[in-house]
Amino acid sequence: MGDGLIIRDLSKVYYDVYAGQHVAAVDRVSLQIATGEFVSILGPSGCGKTTLLNIVAGFIPPTHGEITLNGRRIQGPGPDRGVVFQSFALFPWKTVLDNVAFGLKMRGMPRDDRDRIAREYIALVGLAGSESRFPHELSGGMQQRVGVARVLANDPELMLMDEPFASVDAQTRMTLQEELTRIWEARQPTILFVTHDVEEAVFLANRVIVLSARPGRIRETLQVDLPRPRAWRDLVEDAAYKALVARVLSLVRTTPS
Amino acid sequence: MTRAGAVARHLIATPAARTLGPFVPIVAAWAMVVELGVFPRAFFPGPLEVVRAFGDLVYKGILPAYLQDSVTRLAVGAAAGIALGVPFGLLVGLHAASYRFFWPIVIFFQAIGDIAWLPILLIWFGFTLTTMTFVIVYTVIFPVIFNTALGVRTIAPDMVRAAQSLGAGSHRILWEVLVPGALPNIITGLRNGLGYGWRALIAAEIIVGTSGIGFMMFDARRAGSVVEMILGMIVLGILWYVVDAGIVAPLERATIERWGLTKREA
Amino acid sequence: MDADALSRPGRTAQRVGGALGAAAWFVAPFVTLVLAWAGAVWLFDVPVRVFPSPADVAGAFVQQVDSGVLGNHVWQSVRRVFVGGSLAMLTSIPLGVAISTNRAVSGFFTPVLRFFSVLAGIAWIPLATLWFGYGFGAITFIVFNAVFFVVVYNTILGVNRIPGVLRDAALSLGAGRWQVLTEVLLPGALPNIVTGIRTGMGFAWRGLIAAEIIATNAGLGYMVFLARDFYRTEVIVLGMIMIGAIWVAIDRLVLAPIERRTIERWGLTRRTA
Repeated sequence: MGDGLIIRDLSKVYYDVYAGQHVAAVDRVSLQIATGEFVSILGPSGCGKTTLLNIVAGFIPPTHGEITLNGRRIQGPGPDRGVVFQSFALFPWKTVLDNVAFGLKMRGMPRDDRDRIAREYIALVGLAGSESRFPHELSGGMQQRVGVARVLANDPELMLMDEPFASVDAQTRMTLQEELTRIWEARQPTILFVTHDVEEAVFLANRVIVLSARPGRIRETLQVDLPRPRAWRDLVEDAAYKALVARVLSLVRTTPS
Repeated sequence: MTRAGAVARHLIATPAARTLGPFVPIVAAWAMVVELGVFPRAFFPGPLEVVRAFGDLVYKGILPAYLQDSVTRLAVGAAAGIALGVPFGLLVGLHAASYRFFWPIVIFFQAIGDIAWLPILLIWFGFTLTTMTFVIVYTVIFPVIFNTALGVRTIAPDMVRAAQSLGAGSHRILWEVLVPGALPNIITGLRNGLGYGWRALIAAEIIVGTSGIGFMMFDARRAGSVVEMILGMIVLGILWYVVDAGIVAPLERATIERWGLTKREA
Repeated sequence: MDADALSRPGRTAQRVGGALGAAAWFVAPFVTLVLAWAGAVWLFDVPVRVFPSPADVAGAFVQQVDSGVLGNHVWQSVRRVFVGGSLAMLTSIPLGVAISTNRAVSGFFTPVLRFFSVLAGIAWIPLATLWFGYGFGAITFIVFNAVFFVVVYNTILGVNRIPGVLRDAALSLGAGRWQVLTEVLLPGALPNIVTGIRTGMGFAWRGLIAAEIIATNAGLGYMVFLARDFYRTEVIVLGMIMIGAIWVAIDRLVLAPIERRTIERWGLTRRTA
């Protein structure tokens, strides 16, 4: 247990060579994510949501501001913050089993132990039996399940998901979304989920944070109190769900006054 | 379908047949040109004479000995070239400052070419194995460097980031991500390097040599024996094919094809 | 956020500074190399017979230029590579296109061409000197040979990689066979052809130097080898530098821009050879 993710006054400023001036991708963002929360972040194109995620992941440094995770300052990438990538980023030269066990191998766990744990998570994401296959033999949806399993197996304090379902077809996407909520209910990881898909954001999360267009600032935060477990079949007709989606959509599509 | 027909059809489909097949009419055409006496026999011998010379030299033990010399030199030179080229390629591919500093120099030295080094090498080392090895290493190393650097620079950044977010340190990232990721290009570099190495070997043997296929070809020239020259060239070509199909291709199959990787280009 | 919009003179100054910076970066490694070279020769007291100092080489350069000797050798080498290369290109490209019009024929010839590509240049020297004697004939043959097979192979590769739909599209727009050739096949295969030319010329240059060592009495290859007989290392190193510098000039200033422009200008991707 810890304080969760605390972001204070975060800014990221680039120097745009073509415009000849400084540009803020992220502008004075402050937010908190409690342990076990599922938070979606979305906004119009260029609102800095991916930049924000990359900063929290430690891939790029902030220009200004402070980020702590369970009391520790963030500096660079690390196994405490697992990342699920839009491009899957599976290691093509490793089997599914070795991919999922990778983080455990980095920790120095012996082979038998890490393979055992890896198999559990492979089963959790519904891929039991595919352990010795290589990523290129799997479909996009299956590959992303491996990506999720790989991060979960490493038991990070925070799980960062960068538009993870944007590269799969619509039907697979819906299946994966339901899978993700099911996994979340079972394990309750802390998740920061970046997307541009409004319906996806509301479907998955407890809380939706909407960013404004560049420079990215928080426009509004909405609680999502829809009951769980969530299924597309039910929510499509649900009035509360539709109202939330409409509200978020209007926020995303209009510019702030 | 007769049994013979089925067997024949099966044989034709094998990769060996597909590669060697085209040469059959060429050899036939060659034989015809020779029979027609288009060129003086002394200058343009026929396939039969070449085969006879082949048998003769094998019998005398000359060809196998020369072959062994040539192949050994190439193997040693290639191994050294790879051992030096891959690490240097990784350095230049990964470290921006190293790239900016070394790249113009690498390109310039490649442009000089292996042969141009021979005069100074002969002054330093004389007509020895050292000279020949230097030339081969020099030739092999450049494609290996270029392709290794290219391979490591074009690895998807997400791959490295994924490893970082799973707790891999720099050392681990190098071995678990960068080297396997660059492997398709490294193998291309190996293939090209071996190709260039062959040519360098022959040139070195011609100029420096005391033994080897290249030497045999040039010695034959002095004796005016065209047959042996042509035989040498054929042996070269065949050997190259054997190396490529017997060493490089299986390597590719065990790694690149198994992992479903493709080569990336600049 | 502050807006540091630069004024126009400011931006120009930045661009000029950038260009100078890039030039400096290119030259710096060689300057360092020359300094290290001079330092090593001086430090280890290396005799001229073993390795010359930069000053020795510079002296040789001046002397050779003055007497016109260097100019002659450079001219011979460059002339040969361009004559042989052009001849090869003029014959190989049409041949490559002709072969590739028939898929079966090109599939048939490809292994043969690969075989001869690998034998490029040097391996032909003994035979070439026997057939053509020493001198211009043999050398041109080597150069021609080095370029010819590589370019035919790459031409075939280039034409065969053109998506069939492009040919179909042209035909359905009323193009005749000749027009398909000139409007679709040649431009489409151009990236591979140009890459083939560049590779082939590289082989040709190296083969040329080797051939000049063995088979003639003028040219840069001959120059370095002759100098060896007299232990004139400063001439040898001068020759080596010239060989490297000229090829870098030909490749980077002539061939590479052509390659880049055909590919970039037309937004084509290069397909591997």
